[in-house]
Amino acid sequence: MPGAVALAALRSQIRRIERPAAGLHGVLPFGAAALDRALPQGGLALGAVHEILGQGGDEEDGAAAAGFAAGILARLGRFPVLWCLKRPDLYGPGLAANGLDPARLVLVSESRDERLLWAVEEGLRTGHGAGLAAVVGEIGALPMVASRRLQLAAERSGVTALLLRRWRSGAEAAAERGRPSAAVTRWRVSSLPAAAVVDERGAGEPGIGRPRWRVELLRCRGGRPGSWEVEAADATGHVCISAELADRPAAPRQTYPSPLRRAG
Amino acid sequence: MPLADALSYVPGLMTRPAEPDADRAALVRLVEWCGRYSPWIAPDPPAENGGAGITIEITGCAHLWGGEAVLAADLSRRLARPHGAGDGISHRIAIAGTLGAAWALARFAAAAGEPAIPPPERLREALAPLPVEALRLDPATAAGLHRVGLTRIGDLYPMPRAALARRFGDEVARRLDQAAGAAPEPLSPLGEAPTRRVRLSFAEPIADPADLAAATERLAGDLTGWLAREGVGARRLDLGFHRVDGRVEHIRLGTARPSRDPAHLADLLQARLDTIDPGLGVEDMILAAYTVETLGAEQADVLNLGLAPPLVGESQGTGLRTLAPLIDRLGAQLGHQALARLEARESHLPERASAPAAIAESQKILPLPPSAGGDGRVRGIGEKQRPHPPIAGAMGPSLSRNAGEGFKPPRPVRLFRPPEPIEAFWLLPDDPPFRFAWRRRRHLVARADGPERIAEEWWRPDAAGAAPIVRAEAIRDYYRVEDAEGRRFWLFRAGLPGHDPPPRWYLHGVFA
Repeated sequence: MPGAVALAALRSQIRRIERPAAGLHGVLPFGAAALDRALPQGGLALGAVHEILGQGGDEEDGAAAAGFAAGILARLGRFPVLWCLKRPDLYGPGLAANGLDPARLVLVSESRDERLLWAVEEGLRTGHGAGLAAVVGEIGALPMVASRRLQLAAERSGVTALLLRRWRSGAEAAAERGRPSAAVTRWRVSSLPAAAVVDERGAGEPGIGRPRWRVELLRCRGGRPGSWEVEAADATGHVCISAELADRPAAPRQTYPSPLRRAG
Repeated sequence: MPLADALSYVPGLMTRPAEPDADRAALVRLVEWCGRYSPWIAPDPPAENGGAGITIEITGCAHLWGGEAVLAADLSRRLARPHGAGDGISHRIAIAGTLGAAWALARFAAAAGEPAIPPPERLREALAPLPVEALRLDPATAAGLHRVGLTRIGDLYPMPRAALARRFGDEVARRLDQAAGAAPEPLSPLGEAPTRRVRLSFAEPIADPADLAAATERLAGDLTGWLAREGVGARRLDLGFHRVDGRVEHIRLGTARPSRDPAHLADLLQARLDTIDPGLGVEDMILAAYTVETLGAEQADVLNLGLAPPLVGESQGTGLRTLAPLIDRLGAQLGHQALARLEARESHLPERASAPAAIAESQKILPLPPSAGGDGRVRGIGEKQRPHPPIAGAMGPSLSRNAGEGFKPPRPVRLFRPPEPIEAFWLLPDDPPFRFAWRRRRHLVARADGPERIAEEWWRPDAAGAAPIVRAEAIRDYYRVEDAEGRRFWLFRAGLPGHDPPPRWYLHGVFA
């Protein structure tokens, strides 16, 4: 139908005007339908900057965020990853449990935020020629200008950037976490109590089963924010929505009987 | 003579307190500046019978200046230029075929403005009229020679060696041989001697950053051309800027892999140009390669990680290039110790099983095989699974059931080095804690997995090299605990319960 074709053409034109460079490099779907539905084009945009925050004590340690990032990187392919961090507390076998082979990492340790941002930008600018799959930066202070530069560099080169936000103290976190940035998506990952362990007969047993996360999409350009409870990334890097709790729909809107009544 | 006597002879004498350290430092700076002639330079500290000096080995360099006499004239002219606060340095120059002869001629034959450059075949005749002190003998020996009437070096030539040795020791004969060239005397250079060096001298000193950058490119091109002809690549480079006031500034670089790509090396050097202060101007720039490694023609393009960018829908007409240039750039700016890989090692202790290892030390950037050692955890002796205690919540069934099937126990994403001490409260000594305090925050434990016992590696000698024994406090029982909010931690108890001193609890890592 010509109307539908014209509509599709118009939609893509509007999309190009709204976000001139988004989605140029493709997307990486999560494999979980509810997550992919909330993201534009059905997956995490490649060649863009994504922020991952923690919650509570994890804002200082960045463990759940690192696991989430590891799952994403595991599914990006077998190519090396530049991981820039301030504190050398990344542990290889833990990343392997979330699917990321630690031999793929090149670590950059730098204690100052500006130099860390420079290293991330350098990786984004030249990473394509070097064959990098992605650049991860554990950044505390991220000024808007710097995030815009990183986004431009990522769009030009096609290397994905994952910024894990980690702060040294609650006060710094409170000041920085509300600051806007030019990232395409902003996530928050927090740990949830793990699934129960069941033995062959189905009876519950003591112990910790498969870990779980709450993954919240706080901001997404062209997508819908949401919150999901997922099983943590397994050895292939895939998260999956917990069986018991599907994607929670938005709270039902209160409807009041309309004062106007249809005639008849 | 004492100062008072000197002052009585010359009333208007200017005196300064002696500063031997400052003198030594100034001598070393001057020696470094003389590096523009040759990399084989060494200071001669002041001796009893000769002042401080500099030795430069110019074998093979003199032709670059048009001959030894021209080189001496150039050196003389530059030294006489006003430097810093002074009026120029008064000096005497001699060039000879041996170190000993040059030393002697410079102090006893040359005059200011008249370098002593005897032709090589007339070296012995040139040395003959000099006093015996010119042989670098200690004062007692020299006085002894004077007493028997041997005052000139020429007097020593006809003397029988055995008699000299019996009377004055081996020193005299050795110095005589060194001066005449019969015995070798190599020069120990100040600093490392580079393997290859290219130099750019400017008629007019330059200070503009753009000019320095252009000169850097030219030097990088010259050096890489030379390296390419020999089939080697540079690993360590030093770019020296010789300023007109006699100071030398350096940019020192290392690369992760041998490189002879002129654009890459020029980039690395130019990135550090802003650390150089050219002062009033730079008159020479010298690029030296200290370590080179073979680099075949086909290796210069090799892929070290076997990659193609994983982009969707991008056709790669551009060639595939390596990670090494990016690593070099990051290392040049942040320091090469900042770059590391996570290396897996065979070890029971978690902190040793996987640790960051600086890239600069490793020879190649190859991915480690994903199998043995990839997760860093190898089951072997030293690990025990405790029997399942009948207390709920204490033992993870997953560990006991799958033991021995190549099962990999879970490991945290973040590991603290060193482990952080915590206050833990437990009901029974063998239990995981039900509450613990970490970084001044309290955590209530909802569930726990464990214990996993990791003992010290008794086959490693300890730091003192003594025979190792497994100490009670080196035995760790690890528990994976989950607190009420859902965060999962890796705790361990160091030491066996019931022992004295009582065991202590630590938090080693946080799980994702």
